Amino acid sequence: MDVPSKGTAGGAQRTAARPPARTDVTVSVNGAVERIKVDNRASLLDVLRERLGLTGAKKGCDHGQCGACTVLLDGRRVNACLILAVTVDQAEVVTVEGLTDGTRLHPLQAAFIERDAFQCGYCTPGQLCSAVGMLAEAAKGRASAVTADLADDAPVLDEAEIRERMSGNLCRCGAYPNIVAAIGEVAG
Amino acid sequence: MRFLRPHTWAEALGAKAEFPDALPLMGGTDVMVDVNFGRARPNALLDLTAIPELRTWAPDGDALRVGAGVTYARLVSELADRLPALAAASRTVGSPQIRNRGTAGGNLGSASPAGDAHPPLLAGGAEVELESVRGARRVAVEEFFAGPKRSVLEPDELIAGFRARPATGPQYFAKVGTRNAMVIAVCSFALALRPGEGVGTGIGSAGPTPLRAYAAEEFLAGELADRWEKRDALPGPVIGEFAELVAGAARPIDDVRGTADYRAHVLRVLARRTLTWAWADHCEGGAGCA
Amino acid sequence: MTTDIERVTGTALDRVEGRDKVTGLARYAYEYPADDIAYVVPVPAAIARGTITGIDPGDALAVPGVLTVLSFRNAPPLAGNDPELRIFSSDRVSYRGQMVAAVVADTLEAAAEAARLVHVGYDAEPHDVLLRPDHPEAYVPEKVNPSFPAVSEQGDVEAALGDAAVTVDTTYTTPAYHNNAMEPHATLAVWSGDRLTAYDSNQGSSTARDMLAAAFGLEPGQVRVVSPHVGGGFGSKGTPRPQIVLAALAARAVGRPAKVALTRQHMFAVTGYRTPSIQRVRLGADASGRMTALAHEVEEQTSTLKEFAEQTAVPSRMMYAAPNRLTTHRVVALDVATPSWMRAPGECPGMYALESAMDELAVACGLDPIELRVRNEPEEDPESGLPWSSRNVVACLREGAAWFGWAGRDPAPGVRRDGRWLVGTGVAASTYPARRRPSEATARATADGRFTVRIAAADIGTGSRTALTQIAADALGVPPERVDVRIGDSALPTASLAGGSMGTASWGSAVAMACVRLRERLDGAGGEVPEDGIEARYDTADDIKADAAYARHAFGAQFAEVRVDPGTGEIRVPRLLGVFAAGRIINAKTARSQFIGGMTMGLAMALLEESVPDAEFGGFLNHDLAQYHVPANADVANIDARWIEEDDPHLNPMGSKGIGEIGIVGTAAAIGNAVHHATGVRFRDLPIRPDRVLDRAPQIGGRNL
Repeated sequence: MDVPSKGTAGGAQRTAARPPARTDVTVSVNGAVERIKVDNRASLLDVLRERLGLTGAKKGCDHGQCGACTVLLDGRRVNACLILAVTVDQAEVVTVEGLTDGTRLHPLQAAFIERDAFQCGYCTPGQLCSAVGMLAEAAKGRASAVTADLADDAPVLDEAEIRERMSGNLCRCGAYPNIVAAIGEVAG
Repeated sequence: MRFLRPHTWAEALGAKAEFPDALPLMGGTDVMVDVNFGRARPNALLDLTAIPELRTWAPDGDALRVGAGVTYARLVSELADRLPALAAASRTVGSPQIRNRGTAGGNLGSASPAGDAHPPLLAGGAEVELESVRGARRVAVEEFFAGPKRSVLEPDELIAGFRARPATGPQYFAKVGTRNAMVIAVCSFALALRPGEGVGTGIGSAGPTPLRAYAAEEFLAGELADRWEKRDALPGPVIGEFAELVAGAARPIDDVRGTADYRAHVLRVLARRTLTWAWADHCEGGAGCA
Repeated sequence: MTTDIERVTGTALDRVEGRDKVTGLARYAYEYPADDIAYVVPVPAAIARGTITGIDPGDALAVPGVLTVLSFRNAPPLAGNDPELRIFSSDRVSYRGQMVAAVVADTLEAAAEAARLVHVGYDAEPHDVLLRPDHPEAYVPEKVNPSFPAVSEQGDVEAALGDAAVTVDTTYTTPAYHNNAMEPHATLAVWSGDRLTAYDSNQGSSTARDMLAAAFGLEPGQVRVVSPHVGGGFGSKGTPRPQIVLAALAARAVGRPAKVALTRQHMFAVTGYRTPSIQRVRLGADASGRMTALAHEVEEQTSTLKEFAEQTAVPSRMMYAAPNRLTTHRVVALDVATPSWMRAPGECPGMYALESAMDELAVACGLDPIELRVRNEPEEDPESGLPWSSRNVVACLREGAAWFGWAGRDPAPGVRRDGRWLVGTGVAASTYPARRRPSEATARATADGRFTVRIAAADIGTGSRTALTQIAADALGVPPERVDVRIGDSALPTASLAGGSMGTASWGSAVAMACVRLRERLDGAGGEVPEDGIEARYDTADDIKADAAYARHAFGAQFAEVRVDPGTGEIRVPRLLGVFAAGRIINAKTARSQFIGGMTMGLAMALLEESVPDAEFGGFLNHDLAQYHVPANADVANIDARWIEEDDPHLNPMGSKGIGEIGIVGTAAAIGNAVHHATGVRFRDLPIRPDRVLDRAPQIGGRNL
């Protein structure tokens, strides 16, 4: 097969070949400290998936529009696709792989199975990390867009609250009612 | 792509002076979308997340000074009493994940006409603090936006934060989108009543930049001048005229999210509703809520 | 099937792969490890129609880490009969976003950066990407999918309409929709000599294997496609998509494993979509509401590359009795990507139009919409004359009415208010064919007391792995914990696609019979499992050929309550209930999820989703998840699915009908009918967007609110 390779095709000399800029990053991932040299262009999501072999966090849109890549960064839920890996130096990252305590499932993981809160499973790691982050936010008294009283320190996580608070995670299979039920069960 | 990570504000200004084409990065929620898909191929990124002073807010005279690095989540949880419309708008930005990273300061930097934080900043009479090694300046929010996704920010300048006076009366933010959550506004509107003083407005997603409805503000301030104390019901025609003037201030276009006609109409409805709610709050004598 | 333990089919068994999915250990295509993987990023065409005049890869090749740039200039010709898959085969561009080149590099970052630096020159030609009424290029295709005649006619529709006491003559439009499975189409291709392994995201590994073999001129035995977990498909992964061919081409070009995952934006161009449709429905009835005429005439689009003619009017051939009937399809070949399968192709858009028109007829006749449907219940399949294997649409309507609280509904439109909201309710019927296709399975008993079932089935989220486990357990008479079901690999016995709601019926038939055979062998061996195990195989091809002639369909009824804000035009759906008659339900838990998932997609079809064509440049304008609104959690309030027991002996060993698609059928019509009930206005163009509601606000009285 005739394939142009570097230096043989016309125009290859026009741009000076510079090695990609890389930066050393030290980051704790699921409790393990990783020292890695990352491409400055790489997202946290791609580094987790392609460099660290943690493929639990999923890429659904790469734009922060679906939530499949949700991980916990220093305890807060974020879209890993919108985070440059180079900016997480000294940070703590928890992915879905880190939710399990040894072989014991996190209560949300167990509830997701019991309530059938997923079908294809692709959005599930993001839903779970998002739910963990959401419960922590609610425990701190954070209001949502449907919380009537912004000053309420302990918003009750009824179905409407859970739906709103979980709306950063799309599920094309339409498991939403089961996701809400599973989280509601754990939230108590 | 060069990566710059200053740890002090002075270092950041120095870096921006040296690399004016460096793209400032705060929460990354706007910038990374552009970077991931090549709409932006900056030679350098200027990561501002390691600068502690950007993440603080504090009273400063009769205003609040909010650093450019304060996230939407914090605006909701920490400033809902003082900047209620901004907090209400912050609750609807993107998704919870976006709100944990994104900042009103960064949103100003992207200068999108659809930015949810902009209408409350306009209604609240906020000023943007810009700074470079050459010095600092303050720009009223309405003068900050120069066009769709363009601002008066000079190449060597950074957004330090914004200043806004705490609410002295009811404030509301309302937004219409087709989806119930995680939705870009088809249009949005913010209203701030300042009893005894005047009225502020802000329009989002209905023009090349976020807009103030000056004529509507002037008209309503005049109508309210002798009503602030009386706290009597606002006549329907006053509400109607205000709504018309708000709609008239918009310069909407047709796009995928909605038609120009729809936007103008919905602005009328949002203006009418927010004024009704805000005036009712005022009449009850309660502080603003949103 | 004799069993001495309690049956597990019908119970709510948890998904057998659930633990893998909630711990992040379930591997999807892009996630397989291999040594020295190269990354592939395709370059989409920037024009909708024309010729490539030049491809300059120089700047791309200069990016460090870039290995090669593939295009029609250097890629080897591919065989196979799908022009969408013969990538880089010519200098022609047939639609915007078509793959015209691809970069292969050491890292994803390098490939992505270089893909933007491939300079493609075009000689653009005028294009046409807009379906419009009575398009001058519209033609009647020879058949519609999969093999129905494009036109059917009974009696004299025109005369019957002329004589009818009550008539409805309306036109409905549906936009293009994109499947938007959460997992982007992705493939990791690994060559070993002339053998190819593809870890791929698809709805059928046997089908993907055969396609790949054909494309590269290989024997099927030289190709293996591995797909144990698939992040949704909804039809878009039924027909193999170009990323699988691209990964294989790239891997061969650089002599390394290569992988590609399409971006969400690019998925809008090259992974198929549901055609937009323009549907005229004419109904004629006597004064009592008995239909005398039904005409359903459809215009839709296909591409210049190949013909894809969706069977949109086909449900109107069997849904209701009417002595005079006409159904037609016309298609227009536009400068667009070829439309493809999306959940309930044909039935979904077609039943939207028919069930909306039925509601209009009910109003015109002054009849309750449920009663109208009951009065037009056909004794047998109207066009074929075949007996129904079972048909319980009336039971679904009646039971659903009781559960939903339909009784006493005031039919007057536009009169119920709750604060600023206008409130209404609506109903629509639902149907989807119950078919099965030949498949093979093996069942093996091992000396440790366990059983392994093998079949190249797919679980794209349907729960098929779990359902097959239950089917096998019952056929073997053992608890499900002792059964391992292996699926998602073309090295397993050949199976049909996950599509057309045929998966579980097709695979389950083979699995059940293989297990029955195995039991017979075990019994023959005195119940003892030999040390090296014992196996049975079954191929259902002959059984299916011998299936008796019945009209086999699942049926259902959809009920919706809506609230309309007449000030902003916003619509909310606080309540949605689907009631289905779909044979025996194999897994009560996963079935409910499937129904609700379909209904959720139907809700979005009614209110949120549309792919807006870009008339100026081709392709679609709103090609990402911020602008193409699949529903978010907050959009789905009280949504429930129930079913009625159905004992249909004419289906398959399980007595099951497919359930993956019927959930979406009728939902949009039920919501549209409820919006009419709420507002008094008919919205006949989907989605019912706020601006469309506002355009009709003077009729609703909303402008002053």
